[in-house]
Amino acid sequence: MRVYVLSILIIPLVTAVVCYNITKPRIVGYVSLGGTVALAVAAFPTIAASLSGTVSALDDTFSMDALSGYIMALVIFLSIASAAYSISYLEHEYDAGLTNVRGVRTYYGLLHLFIFTMLLVTMANNLAIMWIGIEATTIVSALLIGLGFHKRPLAVEAAWKYIILCTVGITFALLGTFIAYYASTAVIGTEGALNWTTLRGMAYRMNPETMKLAFIFVLVGYGTKAGLAPVHNWLPDAHSQAPSPISALLSGILLNTAFYGIMRFVSIVEPSTGSDFTGHLLIFFGLVSVGISAIFILVQENYKRLLAYSSIEHMGIISLGIGIGGPVGIYGALLHILNHALSKPLMFFASGKIQSRFGTTNIANVNGVLSSMPLLGTLTFIGALSLSGTPPFNIFVSEFTVLKAGVDRGLWPVVVLFLIFVVIVFYGMLSGFGKMLFGRPGDGTAAQAGHRPGREGAGEWLANTVMIFMAVAVIALGFKVPAIIDETIRTCVQVLGAK
Amino acid sequence: MKSWIEAFSIIDFISVGILLTAVTLNAFKSIESYVKAYTINSWLLAGLIAVVAVLVGETHLYIAALLTLATKGIIIPLFLRRIVRRMRVTREIQPYISNSLSLAISGILVAVVYASLKEGIFITGFSKNVLQISIAVILISLFVMITRKKALTQAIGLLFMENGLFLAGFSLTFGMPTMIELGVLFDMLMGVIILGIFVIQIKRAFASADLDKLTVLKG
Repeated sequence: MRVYVLSILIIPLVTAVVCYNITKPRIVGYVSLGGTVALAVAAFPTIAASLSGTVSALDDTFSMDALSGYIMALVIFLSIASAAYSISYLEHEYDAGLTNVRGVRTYYGLLHLFIFTMLLVTMANNLAIMWIGIEATTIVSALLIGLGFHKRPLAVEAAWKYIILCTVGITFALLGTFIAYYASTAVIGTEGALNWTTLRGMAYRMNPETMKLAFIFVLVGYGTKAGLAPVHNWLPDAHSQAPSPISALLSGILLNTAFYGIMRFVSIVEPSTGSDFTGHLLIFFGLVSVGISAIFILVQENYKRLLAYSSIEHMGIISLGIGIGGPVGIYGALLHILNHALSKPLMFFASGKIQSRFGTTNIANVNGVLSSMPLLGTLTFIGALSLSGTPPFNIFVSEFTVLKAGVDRGLWPVVVLFLIFVVIVFYGMLSGFGKMLFGRPGDGTAAQAGHRPGREGAGEWLANTVMIFMAVAVIALGFKVPAIIDETIRTCVQVLGAK
Repeated sequence: MKSWIEAFSIIDFISVGILLTAVTLNAFKSIESYVKAYTINSWLLAGLIAVVAVLVGETHLYIAALLTLATKGIIIPLFLRRIVRRMRVTREIQPYISNSLSLAISGILVAVVYASLKEGIFITGFSKNVLQISIAVILISLFVMITRKKALTQAIGLLFMENGLFLAGFSLTFGMPTMIELGVLFDMLMGVIILGIFVIQIKRAFASADLDKLTVLKG
């Protein structure tokens, strides 16, 4: 078992080194895809085992339960999707002269380092090692945004904001972790005092006042990284300037790994302070996030930024779900993580294609995607319907579950505000993307003039397959949540200690 | 040795030194002096950990002191000096507010911290003052970060903040286990290197390293 667990961390590192040392830009993408598939194969037994019990390695340094397994499965799934999509994306950039061999190699090397850091977060048993992992994700992904390949001033600006804001935020999370360590050493001494497996059992014995302080610092810190308003300013910049496959990873899963940190803390803070304290904070920041993003979605003129604000909205909904709590609320939040991790990357992939076709990210300059590119248009349409929360798509189901949890608890003001914001988002999303999809195709010809048809090779085929698969999953999850996913999320709810 | 440390309240002296080096940031005008202040600050931090190591007599504290000295006291300052030389920056920091005003505000910040943490919930291990001082250092460096124009000063403000944080963590728990300390320091080292790379990129992309050029992305 141990060998399998450690191979999860070793494979991405090896792939990163190998990719960085391949000098043929056409081959390196397939090697990177192979690396992620190997990772999935190696991780499968561990994830399967973690769903039914705890898997640990290296003296409990790493320990995985159902929740870690769930998030890790999402990380690996999106890594494969992103690696597959990157091939055609980078071929296009390379052919257009926007990057060189060195840029391609660096990109793939960093991509796998990025995957490694996210896996480290999900596997860490020790809360401080989890912090180290989350901080490492910031450092690596900042490089991917700013230097990944073509050096554009705006990307440098976005990356600088990202790294400064997130590092300051995450420094506060470290202070919170120190305070939690202080609280737990007062009870059990230094041995294993930050280990999640230890803390779970004795959390109710910790000093509630100290844990409240710790939680506030952690919420501010990881909340910055998870894109919760009002410290979300870095997010639209970073997500809109990053290369599309990286935007998909940032939005689909990186935000969730940061939120995973908050969830772990909630379940060790709650036993001593009572669920009202953490619940109220999370509901408040969740509502603020949904509200602020709704306003910005309504007035947005850039479709990549629109998608980024939509990420803030969905993180807000996840925060609301955890904050409302109870089995239903947490179930809704965890299901929402999965749904968002399918719909948002689909949209970022599709928007990357639209961007390379029209050469702009401005909504006003993109028209008639549906008639000029039927497949891409349909996929974008499905993604936009899903993200705006239209029934019967997947996100509607999880939003409804969160809403139901709120109604069950009788939190009427929260429910009403949430509904108003969601309606605004619905209108904003669909009016923006509706214009791009259905407008008259002739209008954007000026922008299309510079477009050269890309190579219709295996890379293109892979990217389309990935997007079609995600779109099918988006629709299927709207009708029925498969038994295995349902079972997994129920186990996760138990891990988080909901009664 | 132990009685000697206690008799002269060495710990308080060192932590006050850490606070003062943070306060001096408000008065300096050149980036070189910022780097020097950071170096002294880090040496004092390492010294404090070493003194506590003598008091408590735990090996992992000696290791922590050495690690702090090596990374924060030597490697990071050397790296920062290289960046400063490479940038050939205009030496002026150009704060948004005058130095005397920012000194006054720093003083107020320290007073606020002392007033609000007087009845704290913490019983610190070795000194009443260290936690207050560390929080004051964190606040002063945040203040410096938001009031200075150069990208590099923002990075140095962040480093000061991390020193304050280490001090806080240290006063609460006598330091983390060595493995974790190592990981945190490694992350910070990587962070500094990447900030340095970006400072140079900003200079290249915007022909200056002033942060008021970075206002294209909004809304």
